[in-house]
Amino acid sequence: MTNNPDKHIKTIGIPTEEEIRQAQIDFAPRCTSAGRVNDKETQKIVQYILNFARKHSLFVLAYGTGCGAIEIPATMTSRYDAERFGIRGAATPRQADVLLITGYLSTKTLKRVIRVYEQMQDPKYVMAFGSCTINGGMYFDSYNTIKALDRYLPVDVYIAGCMPRPESVIRGFIKLQELIQNGNAGGGKCYRDNLDWYRANQQKVIKNWNFPDEYNW
Amino acid sequence: MQENILNQLNKVFKIKGQVKSPLRIKVVADKDIVSSILLYLKAQMGFIHLNHISCVDWIEDNKFELVYIVWHPEQKQTVLVHTFIDRENPVMENIDTIWDQANTYEREMREMFGIEFPGLVGDREFILEDWQEMPPMRRDFDTKRYAQETYETRPGRENARNVRLEIMKRSGEELPDFAKKYSRD
Amino acid sequence: MIEKETTLYLGPQHPGITGNMMIKLKVKGDVVTQAETHVGYLHRAFEKLIERRNWLQSFTLLCRFCVPEPDPMELTYARAVEQIEGREVPPRAKYIRTIVAELARIQSFLLWYGGQSGSSGLYTLGQWSVGDRNYILDLFEDLTGARIYHMYMWPGGVRRDLPTGWIDKTYKTMDYLEKRLEDYNKLLFENAIFQKRAQGVGIIPKDKAIEWGVVGPPLRGTGIKHDVRIDEPYEAYADLDFEVPTYEGGDVWARALVRRDEIKQSIRIIRQALDKMPSGSYYNRIPNPMKWTVPTGEAWIKTESVRGEIGFYVVSDGSSKPRRVHLKGAAYTHGVSVLEKILPGQNIADVSFILNSLGVCPPEIER
Repeated sequence: MTNNPDKHIKTIGIPTEEEIRQAQIDFAPRCTSAGRVNDKETQKIVQYILNFARKHSLFVLAYGTGCGAIEIPATMTSRYDAERFGIRGAATPRQADVLLITGYLSTKTLKRVIRVYEQMQDPKYVMAFGSCTINGGMYFDSYNTIKALDRYLPVDVYIAGCMPRPESVIRGFIKLQELIQNGNAGGGKCYRDNLDWYRANQQKVIKNWNFPDEYNW
Repeated sequence: MQENILNQLNKVFKIKGQVKSPLRIKVVADKDIVSSILLYLKAQMGFIHLNHISCVDWIEDNKFELVYIVWHPEQKQTVLVHTFIDRENPVMENIDTIWDQANTYEREMREMFGIEFPGLVGDREFILEDWQEMPPMRRDFDTKRYAQETYETRPGRENARNVRLEIMKRSGEELPDFAKKYSRD
Repeated sequence: MIEKETTLYLGPQHPGITGNMMIKLKVKGDVVTQAETHVGYLHRAFEKLIERRNWLQSFTLLCRFCVPEPDPMELTYARAVEQIEGREVPPRAKYIRTIVAELARIQSFLLWYGGQSGSSGLYTLGQWSVGDRNYILDLFEDLTGARIYHMYMWPGGVRRDLPTGWIDKTYKTMDYLEKRLEDYNKLLFENAIFQKRAQGVGIIPKDKAIEWGVVGPPLRGTGIKHDVRIDEPYEAYADLDFEVPTYEGGDVWARALVRRDEIKQSIRIIRQALDKMPSGSYYNRIPNPMKWTVPTGEAWIKTESVRGEIGFYVVSDGSSKPRRVHLKGAAYTHGVSVLEKILPGQNIADVSFILNSLGVCPPEIER
């Protein structure tokens, strides 16, 4: 230790380039051999852990858009108990992961569903119930319902049947969990990248995009 | 009892009455006097419950048939008041001053059949949103053609006859023998 | 009291709303001053599509009119077609139809238990009652092959006979449910939270109730005894012995008590019908459905469903397709004009509570 005040000030104050370089080596993360976090090996592990966490906490938005919603209470309650898979309800779109389209969508509901979907945070998944979301089902000639849902929103999992039993709903959720674990689910990025195509399809059906005045905030 | 109800109505109004079954009375009247009949039934005869207002499109005769169904809570009798209005320029008297809930029926009929009720309050859009075609419940509105023109459809449902064939083509699998047996082709 | 009036949209995406509808509320503080129902989110144009289907194909669409209770819809339509056509129904089919209608009533009430307690924050009862509802759906599955939409009643009878062992299974299920009802009673009706929330909320005045178009349990909750099963007995109800519970008050509490007692009466009806079940044929054969025509005529048929009286106005023009099938559901008045009248003056927190107690089913309103 010397009593040189200048050196003391220099050490505490602005570090030299050499000191910075030394500090970078000293305080670098020790968990990897190369001293960097964003290499492929680590990313794989981090992604695995993230996907594992995501797939076991699927918060389902409580929006009964159609008649398939009648089997949701049965799925959630004591006999089928979907909560053992980490599936439970969420009240608002901003806290939800999964949007269930429970059956046909009339054009009036489609407008609200698109808004709800765009309010949800990434990663977000869409599950479609019933044959009426796949090809129109028994409403193939109805003037007020859309026929193929994936033209308007990216759909991860379809569940066939009218209406799907709770067992098939749970099977659909397990399929979604598989997709999440493999990193194949979540249409949010696809929707953002191809927004023009989706918007063009939506605008063919929805003529007026304005909501009531108090609604637009 | 049913004869009494019909006699009482016949004294006041010019109607064609008919007893359909032990609890149903059918009355056919001109459209101008329907609201007076309903008011008389409610205020004087105790038919205070409005069950239903229905509309039938008789496109062959160029008429709409309106049916007002009212019910008596003590005598348990039901009166169906039928009337016919012109289909080209359909206008009917508003009865939501007699029963408030008639407002809902009339708003729906205005939207679905295009019948005008002068003095009716409430949004013009009750069920549909941004509808630009003719009122959809009219018989000459072709819902299948509209659906095919407006909505994107998945291929394979053009014809109900070859659904199984289409499924077979898409999946590349042969149809098993037992399924062929129940196929329409 | 806050003077500033705010507009609040309850729904269509809201956990407290029964189905997919929207109520536009004007509120001062947390007191509702004006309510306006907006529907149309579930409009599928059923009545238009039925004009394009033949008489038997219509059943696939009809049962989807109201999701929690599809059977009364089928029953009413089948009765309307029978009346126009003059078709006889064998006595065994009448008894089976009565049992299915009452089972549908019980399962819908069990679902209502979940909704009513869930909207006041008591989630345990929902887990129990909706779980127990599966036992009734199992009975339906044995009988018809489906849990929710059965398409079981046809003009002229029912689609198939009772399977072996079904009657014993039904007796056992009824015994089990009767035991469980005592547990529900302890959990909901003896609960201080529910008593305080329900009493004096959402009052329908007795002198206006019939004029407003109130039917079913809400009407019987005001003390007026009106039930289509007694006024115009259909199927086997004339042979069976049951009571129609009524309570005074017209509030949510009275409606809940009416529903609690109606489950007991339904169990009683089912037991009697199973005891008296006649033997014989279960249907009168209808012609080839693709060529089946119904003679010209019209019918207005009423049935007591879970939410109250429902009616079908069916018109035939003598062809192979119905001219007009028009449903009047109980929710058509309950959900729009009655709700708009009783909501002003209530708290925002009670809105979904009142919605559940009126049994508002949006698909029944817009069809």
